[in-house]
Amino acid sequence: MLNILILGLGQCGNRVLDAVNHEAFGSGGTFAKYYSRQKFPASVKTIAINTAINDLKGLTDTRAKDRFHVPHLHGVGANRTLGKKVFDDNKEQIMSEIDKRGSFELIFIVTSTAGGSGSSFAPLLVKELKKAYNAQIICIAVLPFREEGSIFLQNTAFCIRELVAESPNGILLVDNQYLKKYAGDIKSAYDKINTSVAMRVLFLIEALNSEMLMVTDLGDLKTVMNGGIGIGTMGYYEAGKDGTIKSAILGSFKPSGLLFPTNVYNEGARAMLIIKGDKKYLDLDLITKTVEELSTDVGQVFKGVLIKKGRPKVLSLFTLNSVPELERIYADAADAIRFEMDKREQSKKQLDGAFAHIDDLEPIY
Amino acid sequence: MNSVRILVIATIFVFMLLIPVVVASGNDSYIFDNELQVNEGITIETSIHIEVVDVNRIPPERAKFRITSYQKPERTITVFREDGPQVNKYETYRGTSIYFDVIGVYSDSVQFSVSGPSNWRVTDYYDVETEEDLEEVADAVTVPKLKITRTLDIASVQQGQTVKVTFKIKNEGNGTASEIELDESTITGAYMEGCPASLNDIAAGATERVSYDLKIIDAEPGTYELNPTLLNYKSESGASYSSESTSNVLVIVAEEVLVPELGIKVTIESDDDVITCGDRFPAIIRIDNIGNATSGRVTIKSHLPDDVRVADGEIDPVYESIKPGDFVEYDVTMIAYEPGKHIIKMDVLWADAEASASAEFWAELSGFDKYYIYILAAIPIVLILLWLIKRRREYSF
Repeated sequence: MLNILILGLGQCGNRVLDAVNHEAFGSGGTFAKYYSRQKFPASVKTIAINTAINDLKGLTDTRAKDRFHVPHLHGVGANRTLGKKVFDDNKEQIMSEIDKRGSFELIFIVTSTAGGSGSSFAPLLVKELKKAYNAQIICIAVLPFREEGSIFLQNTAFCIRELVAESPNGILLVDNQYLKKYAGDIKSAYDKINTSVAMRVLFLIEALNSEMLMVTDLGDLKTVMNGGIGIGTMGYYEAGKDGTIKSAILGSFKPSGLLFPTNVYNEGARAMLIIKGDKKYLDLDLITKTVEELSTDVGQVFKGVLIKKGRPKVLSLFTLNSVPELERIYADAADAIRFEMDKREQSKKQLDGAFAHIDDLEPIY
Repeated sequence: MNSVRILVIATIFVFMLLIPVVVASGNDSYIFDNELQVNEGITIETSIHIEVVDVNRIPPERAKFRITSYQKPERTITVFREDGPQVNKYETYRGTSIYFDVIGVYSDSVQFSVSGPSNWRVTDYYDVETEEDLEEVADAVTVPKLKITRTLDIASVQQGQTVKVTFKIKNEGNGTASEIELDESTITGAYMEGCPASLNDIAAGATERVSYDLKIIDAEPGTYELNPTLLNYKSESGASYSSESTSNVLVIVAEEVLVPELGIKVTIESDDDVITCGDRFPAIIRIDNIGNATSGRVTIKSHLPDDVRVADGEIDPVYESIKPGDFVEYDVTMIAYEPGKHIIKMDVLWADAEASASAEFWAELSGFDKYYIYILAAIPIVLILLWLIKRRREYSF
């Protein structure tokens, strides 16, 4: 059985982690935690880490002992510089808390790239985890709404750069801005995004840890994540009443099922397809043929088939050769930084001008 | 030589004196123990006459007695009160000793006792004829006047016992009474034995004592008044006279029958006579012998309700005997299993008799037994509640 650790950093990471814990209770709803046990498909440990204690208190399905508060007042205020210092100051406690959970073969780090605690902790944590554990580390990085402000954009820019620099086994992007259009209000969007990410993560874990008709394992995942620039995303599709397995597979590549806007057929480097459903729906010949067709466009495609009751569900995970959306984000981030710099310079000049009026004067009493 | 002979004779004499004393002392009993007035006398074994001559109450209190007996000269002795019987001894011709002891001295009488051989009895009471009496007789008209006094030796008697009735008849007249007839009535259930119907002539101034035994056969217990005794007599001239005694009171009590009588008592020890089902409780059983005789073998037999068990102790012991006024007590520990009223009955059996006692108590279910269904129902609710609290705490940060 795979030993898996899921770390949720900062407010966003905490909530996605909470959604994972909630989904692990199955279909019991809000009160399932009072009478049911979580049914993770592998040996899964979760820790929510945050400097803001109120964010930790807001979690509902994560056990108290799995919430670790890094003591620094009430957060770092989206200041990554301060966040990094706080991490360094509390690095030993954080690693000790992780170490209590044992050893792992796969570690997920879920974080927003825009906030303070998560975006500053994530790259440093990747570095420390790589030193401490011989495990695959997959970062699930959540990109912010673009209108949230210039600080979040610049945080995203620097966070992703530092993450790539620390070379985790892979970075899976989740774009709030992209996913927002599939939900109504902001609250619903957040809930839906968190649930979507949680379902995909659990689907992936189940696939990696189960005996399958066609096997995908941790090695396959590592190979997929090594493809392209090491950055990818996930797609998902659940077949309808009259849908075929082919349409389900192709559906998981459609923009509506992706967590990040990309054209898989043009930008995909490697992919992994996990198909789950009742045996009567799983035509292996058709699956193999469809995957072969995809391989011509996407490159290496690993496939796994999991026999479970219900309609076919398909999880796609892939890495990309290029990420145009990231370029746009970095451009916007640069503009935002420059704008901030200019604004601050003008403000300073204005203040200096105001002070100049009394340069040669002394107070008279 | 003569002095040796005198010494031997004296030694023999002393020895002869001591032997009867020792013998008499070893078998002595009271021959007489009563009060006599001055100039009254008693006769012991028809041959020893003792008369009270004088009394003196000025300390040291004393009384003077005149003693005459067969083949012995008249002798007068003075006995001081508190001398004790051994000090004042009188020896008969045959060497038998009697002893005097003055108990009380009064103005004209003395209470004294005479002890001696146990088979000796007072055979006669009489008045001493003084010279003054003799002179009066010579001068009076010869008319007899009998005064009869009846005394009972005991005033209270049990059924089956005998009362000795004594008549003292004194002729206070100056003529001899003759044809004396004694009319004595009795009480139902009693039998007069040796009661004379007629008496010999009584000379003037003489006193006659007559006794008979009144045997109480089957008279009912109670207080009886003996009717006066009627005395009919005639003078020398043939005139008829009569006199009667005073009445006497005789109390007859029931004959004491020695039988054991046992009583049994059972005591359940609890605060309010309520026992909790399943709990041990002590019971004390006590058997008293309230009779006047020791019982034979005593057997205890218990009768317990079906749901009452003896947890500790022997509830049906056997005792060899119980003395009168004594008791035995033992305790047992019991358990009642069912709620409701319970009666424990105990029998005590002895000889052909038996006695019973019982004790009641209520048994109630314990609080747990009453409410265990609710408790059982509440347990899963509490467990669920605790589980929910535990889970909530697990998820509270």
